[in-house]
Amino acid sequence: MELNSQAFERFAVNFEKGDLIFCEYEPGDSFYLIQQGRVQISKILGDIEKTIDILQPGEIFGEMAILEEAPRSANATALDPVRALEFNRENFEILLRGNPQIALKLLKLLTKRIYDQRRRFMILTLEDEQAKVADVFLMLNELQTEAEPQEDDEMTDERRFYTTPDDVAHWAGISPEKSREVLNHFASQRRVEIHDDHIVVKNINDFARFVRSRRKQ
Amino acid sequence: MPKAMHYKANSVIYFKGDTPDRIFILKAGRVSLDSNDIETGQEIHDYIQTGEFFGVKSALGKYPREENAVVLSDTDVLIFSVAEFEQLVSQNTRIIMKMLKVFSNQLRRIHAKVSNLLSENEQANPEEGLFQNGQYFMKKKQYRQALYAFNKYLTYYPSGRFHEEANRLARTAEQYAQRFGQGKGPAPEGVGKTEVSKPQTGKSLSESARRYYEAVSMLGRQEYQNALEVFKEIVQSGEDQEYIVKSLFEIGRSLFYMKHYDAAIKHFTQFLQKYPKATELPDALYYIGQSYQENGNAERADSFYKKILSLPEIDEGLKRKVNKALRALEEA
Repeated sequence: MELNSQAFERFAVNFEKGDLIFCEYEPGDSFYLIQQGRVQISKILGDIEKTIDILQPGEIFGEMAILEEAPRSANATALDPVRALEFNRENFEILLRGNPQIALKLLKLLTKRIYDQRRRFMILTLEDEQAKVADVFLMLNELQTEAEPQEDDEMTDERRFYTTPDDVAHWAGISPEKSREVLNHFASQRRVEIHDDHIVVKNINDFARFVRSRRKQ
Repeated sequence: MPKAMHYKANSVIYFKGDTPDRIFILKAGRVSLDSNDIETGQEIHDYIQTGEFFGVKSALGKYPREENAVVLSDTDVLIFSVAEFEQLVSQNTRIIMKMLKVFSNQLRRIHAKVSNLLSENEQANPEEGLFQNGQYFMKKKQYRQALYAFNKYLTYYPSGRFHEEANRLARTAEQYAQRFGQGKGPAPEGVGKTEVSKPQTGKSLSESARRYYEAVSMLGRQEYQNALEVFKEIVQSGEDQEYIVKSLFEIGRSLFYMKHYDAAIKHFTQFLQKYPKATELPDALYYIGQSYQENGNAERADSFYKKILSLPEIDEGLKRKVNKALRALEEA
């Protein structure tokens, strides 16, 4: 992304390969625009570090900090020597005013976040845990369909998700134990198959009907 | 090129669930966006102003429409493709800035709602989470990252539950990084020994903390002199900053209960000068007010009470006590 860069020199920060740019749970008040190098976004779950995303130059991260000084929700690590521009709520308007492309990017990011949060809220308002878990798969299905519009797959009702019971627990706002219990129950009914690195939902429409019936009108 | 389009009353521009690829500006007429509140299910009608964009969020975010766009009276709109919209706003940052404000507001609201629902179940405690991340990096021999996490922990929670542990591990991380290098070296001692997943009551309290609670119960038993001695010892030991501050506050209270009002005023005043941001601030002001009142200085008491009421956040219990004291002053 082309920046009117001279003006932003004073916001530039550099990280060495392997540096933590920020750490999950740390209070955050700045967000970053990558100029050089890649940044890994990850979360530590128990004894593993799970990569959520790898970001390229031109991408923005830490943007939730514009909204509130909430704790960071993930780790950001420099995968290469990284050069980034660091902004906070006070000075990001300066950046955006001169750089509509970045503003537009941020606008899109916000629309996406609003959707994610609304969708998450819908899951959390379901009362029973089975419905919550089923709805997590519906949400993941929506995200997958968006990322790679499916052709043949649309014809069948089976869906494969690269996710784990712990991830499902996180989205559903329930404990990992409860998540495993519900998934095992679904597995005993042959509605899902649980594998090491993925979960298969045998009939996504069955889940859709199930969730619809549990949602209060 | 954006396309002009005319819609008759009662027609629908788009339906909830449609896959969007268009963004609209209302040129003339009346359009209502009809949806249901995600919390209550209540019907919401959002009336679009002339000149206003609609359909932006779902088109930019590439997700299904969340509302029906219903035409209330004959209407003219301009229709943009996403690319055309992007081109238009790129030339006018003011529009984007305005939308950013609207969207970030919406995001903040929904984010708060989600957090609210999560608070009971699963929200991790950030203090604990930060420390655990440090431990994770230490175990993986990622000393630089561990050092970062522990240093952040110590910055934000200088007298937190794990500050001693974090201090020790930060030093170890530094030494190991120098001596063995990133990713190498023996398993660091004591990592993961601190059980942090369960709530800790009493078990990991420092000596100062333990004694502090003992002395607080002495206050409860009206053994003011004894309590005062213990609080003073905790302060002198210089061990646990959090409990030093707490004890300093309690010294003031002890003096007050022992009816040493001048000493209490002096003590609390010094306390507030030293720790102007202490959480005990409103209470300290209250005891200063009470002390003045006991000394017969109604005017000073009154001004301290009023100062408390002007603070942005005070708890209901204290507010009641202050109001009661103010009424007593008036009646006197």
